[in-house]
Amino acid sequence: MSSVLLLNLAWQISTLALVALGLAIVFGKLRIMNMAHGEFVMIGAYAPVITSSLGLPGWLQVPVCLLSVGLVAFVLERTIIRHLYGRMFDSLLATWGIAILLRETVELLFGRGYQSVTPPISGTLSLLGTEYPAYRIAVIAGIVLGFGALAWWNARSKVATRIKAMVGNPDLAEAVGINTARLSAGAFIFGCCTAGLAGLILAPTIRIEPMMGLDYLIRSFFALVVGGLGSLEGLGIGAGIIAGTQSVLGALANQTYGYLAVLTLSILFLWLKPDGIRSSTR
Amino acid sequence: MTVLLEIDDLTGGYRDTNVLYNISARIEAGSVLGVFGKNGVGKTTLARLVQGSLVANTGDIRLQGRSLHALPAHARRRLGIGYMPQTSMVFDDLTVRENLSLGSNREEPDRYFRRFPRLAERLDQPAGTMSGGERKILAFVRAMIEDTRVIVLDEPSEGVQPENIDHMAECLKERAAAGGGILLCEQNLSFLTRVSSWCLGLDAGTVVLDKAAEDVSAAELRSILSL
Repeated sequence: MSSVLLLNLAWQISTLALVALGLAIVFGKLRIMNMAHGEFVMIGAYAPVITSSLGLPGWLQVPVCLLSVGLVAFVLERTIIRHLYGRMFDSLLATWGIAILLRETVELLFGRGYQSVTPPISGTLSLLGTEYPAYRIAVIAGIVLGFGALAWWNARSKVATRIKAMVGNPDLAEAVGINTARLSAGAFIFGCCTAGLAGLILAPTIRIEPMMGLDYLIRSFFALVVGGLGSLEGLGIGAGIIAGTQSVLGALANQTYGYLAVLTLSILFLWLKPDGIRSSTR
Repeated sequence: MTVLLEIDDLTGGYRDTNVLYNISARIEAGSVLGVFGKNGVGKTTLARLVQGSLVANTGDIRLQGRSLHALPAHARRRLGIGYMPQTSMVFDDLTVRENLSLGSNREEPDRYFRRFPRLAERLDQPAGTMSGGERKILAFVRAMIEDTRVIVLDEPSEGVQPENIDHMAECLKERAAAGGGILLCEQNLSFLTRVSSWCLGLDAGTVVLDKAAEDVSAAELRSILSL
């Protein structure tokens, strides 16, 4: 395998794991089938467009991203989502409608055309005997470190334990003093914000447009189907298999075969192993 | 004696379907109110109405004079109402240690490990892999160590070995002696009468016996259970 293919594989797997993380939290922990997940990725990707159009400095991209995504998620949680926890089919229909609303709103504000932004880190670095974009290397390293920190937090923090308790036994969680409504709202907003951050990180490497979210939703869903819900390990395995299959087949044959293989794989998992490779509430 | 919990003319159940009618009772500091009756008479409903997972249709529940009526379960817990449910009483996916450290606690569990050593041996084991009796003990210890003023226990002795029931009784007496209040819903009459200071017998959702435990005869207890 060539060095470039290997690095592209690392890029595809790490970014898919980051994009799917928010869906894993919202779907895996709260049982909300968030069909608007890709639209939160899209809103995050528009953050650099907003800052550059307003003439704001580049470092404001992260606060603008988190504020815009967080605000939308907060309003949606308070008005719609909090009535749908644990109601997977109802949440699927409601968030499908929300996704359309968000796409149309962004189209109204920014138009239907493609937008592009420049990466904050330019140039290339020499790695594994090849020149590779420095921004992508920094993102891969950042995602690996971020997931390591998240795994540590998940294993040790009291908030993570409380989320596990709430998912496993919501009535008992209330009885031991956990405000499950507030914790669910926090987890939903956090999940949406990670999707927004993923969009912001991906923005310099993609074409930004209102319809871009759908592809991220589908690939994230496939990653969770294959890897299983509820564990970071499952998310990593799922992202590895989906992004790996798509990248390798896309490079060896073409993208159509890559998509076809991923779709077939996901259908097989839904049929033969619906809980995925690693399913856990922990 | 300070009145910790007052149940005042309470009628309620599951949404519009009432299970309990016009229940009144009170728990003083240092006392154990034992609630008993056959299956389906409303013991669990009473426990859940006090704890907050069910809402009364009429009447009120007050903790040291403060009405709990509009408060959800987590807010009642923070005010000092502890709860051990009859079923689903532990977090299956969490370890024993995590189960014991979720809420705000008044004391460390170590003191209870002397009476229930199996818990100490299984601190890192997921609670869902323990036997039914062990899960009951874990839930009981969690309820005992929490920082609460009144503990609501729903059938804590069900499925527990006799020697551990004896330990539970000792723990409850100690907690009451320390000034806590306990609402104990039970069908195990020997356990109930050993720890209760006041007895409340229920039948078909109404109170049919309301007496100091020392004044209740064995015949009265048996007659209510055979009603």
